[in-house]
Amino acid sequence: MPSIPGSGLAKGLAVTLRTMTRKSVTHQYPEALPELPPRTRGVIGLFEENCTVCMLCARECPDWCIYIDSHKETVPAAAPGGRERSRNVLDRFAIDFSLCMYCGICIEVCPFDALFWSPEFEYAETDIRELTHERDKLREWMWTVPEPPALDPGAEEPKEIGAARKAAEKAGKLAAAQRQEQAQAQAPGREREQEGGE
Amino acid sequence: MTFAATVATAATAATATSTHPAAPAAGPGFLSPTGVEIAFVLVGLVTFGAALVTVTTRQLVHAALWLVVALGGLAVEYLLLTAEFIAWVQVLIYLGSVVVLLLFGLMLTKAPVGRSPDADSGNRPAALAVAVAAAAALVWVVVDAFRTTWIDLGGPAQGSTEVTGRMLFQNWVLPFEALSVLLLAALVGAVVLSRKRGASDGGHGSDKERQR
Amino acid sequence: MNDALDVALRLVVVFAVFLVVPLVVGQTEHKVMAHMQGRLGPMHAGGFHGWAQLVADGVKFVQKEDVVPAEADRRIFQLAPAVALLPYLLVLVAIPIGPGEGAVGQVVDAGIFFVLAVMGVGVLGSLMAGWASANKFSLLGGLRTAAQLLAYELPMLLAAASVAMAAGTVSLPGIVGAFEWWWLPWQIVGALVFFVAGLAELQRPPFDMPVADSEIIFGAYTEYTGLRFALFLLAEYAGIVVLCGLTTVLFLGGWHGPFGADGLGWVWTLLKTAVLAFVVIWLRVSYPRLREDQLQKLAWTTLIPLALAQIALTGIVKVAIA
Repeated sequence: MPSIPGSGLAKGLAVTLRTMTRKSVTHQYPEALPELPPRTRGVIGLFEENCTVCMLCARECPDWCIYIDSHKETVPAAAPGGRERSRNVLDRFAIDFSLCMYCGICIEVCPFDALFWSPEFEYAETDIRELTHERDKLREWMWTVPEPPALDPGAEEPKEIGAARKAAEKAGKLAAAQRQEQAQAQAPGREREQEGGE
Repeated sequence: MTFAATVATAATAATATSTHPAAPAAGPGFLSPTGVEIAFVLVGLVTFGAALVTVTTRQLVHAALWLVVALGGLAVEYLLLTAEFIAWVQVLIYLGSVVVLLLFGLMLTKAPVGRSPDADSGNRPAALAVAVAAAAALVWVVVDAFRTTWIDLGGPAQGSTEVTGRMLFQNWVLPFEALSVLLLAALVGAVVLSRKRGASDGGHGSDKERQR
Repeated sequence: MNDALDVALRLVVVFAVFLVVPLVVGQTEHKVMAHMQGRLGPMHAGGFHGWAQLVADGVKFVQKEDVVPAEADRRIFQLAPAVALLPYLLVLVAIPIGPGEGAVGQVVDAGIFFVLAVMGVGVLGSLMAGWASANKFSLLGGLRTAAQLLAYELPMLLAAASVAMAAGTVSLPGIVGAFEWWWLPWQIVGALVFFVAGLAELQRPPFDMPVADSEIIFGAYTEYTGLRFALFLLAEYAGIVVLCGLTTVLFLGGWHGPFGADGLGWVWTLLKTAVLAFVVIWLRVSYPRLREDQLQKLAWTTLIPLALAQIALTGIVKVAIA
């Protein structure tokens, strides 16, 4: 197919002109916040109540960017005559985000679901030392953690729900069995009453 | 209102003299200089000074730039004499092309910033003698030829494009054509010179080199 | 005294135009180029769609330190931006935007020669900058500038000569006054050659080899900072205004338009100039930079023969009409 000389030049002009008439894709960031996907790795939030100070996260962190301080407290016996228990109390939980490489290992290893990914990302500081964020800040970020996305239809149900459901079913069966037993226990009596009445 | 007239007006305003210089009643003379004449002399002095610096400075590029000032001063002189066309052609050809070519050459040879030690040839006295002789001859010829010719700066421009064109193509056609033939010859000569080497080793030679 | 006042007023108006219109072109370039690349361009400075971006840039440039390299030729280095900028101011004086004496800064008898001559002087600024910076990149930029100017001055002159032949005058208002609509197809080749050569003389993309940033940083302007650098940029945009205005006046009939009242001729001139300025920006966005040899080849083997052919055509038609 012979091309007209200069058609390439015209095509170049046409491309730019067409692009100009289209809406541009730029998002005006500070005015319009981005819509981030639910699993965005923005920053790590801490749900303090779940933390048992097991130190797994601090030990697994490849960057050694998690600082944890704690002390032991003795809890008086719950019931009279019982034994006193001791438990760990969290004093400090800080993450140095100038070291963090957002690998998420701490979140993976936490056995009690105390750490979460938050899509929050506007935490830049003018001094690198201020990037070490303490637990109050991490707690604030906890409230920005989105709900976990729904499971795929037909997915295997989560273990927790499965266990709870099994327990519920078991309890239900037990209750049903008991009811049946009761019913059976009552039924012969009724027969006897009937017989006695005749 | 032409550009030259504006320049004249500005010069007049500066020196606070009459707008219409050569008043016909008094007749032109040397003793009562008008604003345009004063401007002419001043620009002439600047041009002369720039030309002097051009040939005496030891910094090559400075010399070229002083040449710009000198040539531009000449253009202003033409303007003051109401020869607009010649003035702009002067700027176009000399400032726009010749000096650019000169600077191109200087840059190509990497003219250093600062003084060039070998910019002086030791022929200063001879050069001075030749220059003074040439200047004297030119001044003598010009003064002798135009001693009593006065340009009426107040009337219609005598150097406008139309007048220049009429003069050129009515009275001076033969020199004009001779000059154009000369330039054409130079052009053809340049093409021949630049092609000669290309034909001997460029035509076949380059093919061979490409095959190698 | 009234005469002097008139001259002063005209000069003030021309100076205002000189300061404002290049900024408008620059801002348009920001926005048009952005949208042609799927961006938005400046959005914040001044509030409404970043209209004051170039004002902000100017303030920034003024605040910057004015650095002169130690090895540089100080005086020429400092003088160069003025030499680059002032010629365009002078040219603007001579461009008529409407019929009559009121719509032109100053009627120049040999208008075309004046305009082209003074525009050629502007390039001296780049050459001075290139040499005086004492920098190899600057020197290369200066060399390329000179080579480009030498190559493209000729076709530009020839194209302008063609239109002067057609009009029978070299005065700019005279040329527009003699314009007829059928000049457009008659002089179209000349117009294209003039516009392309003018672009090359301004070193606008795709002819920006002398300032090719990927090779020689910013050519002759590499060492400049602050206000002097801003002056070079202003010279570039003033050059666009001058080139578009000249093309309008010479080839597109200036204040002549298909309709509109007599007093509104200047609107046509401005409109045509604006469209041409848009084309300048459009070309910048669309095309890659020409290589140095392509650049020279285009001038010597395409534009000059085309311009000569245009002159021949103009001559033939002119004789046929007469």
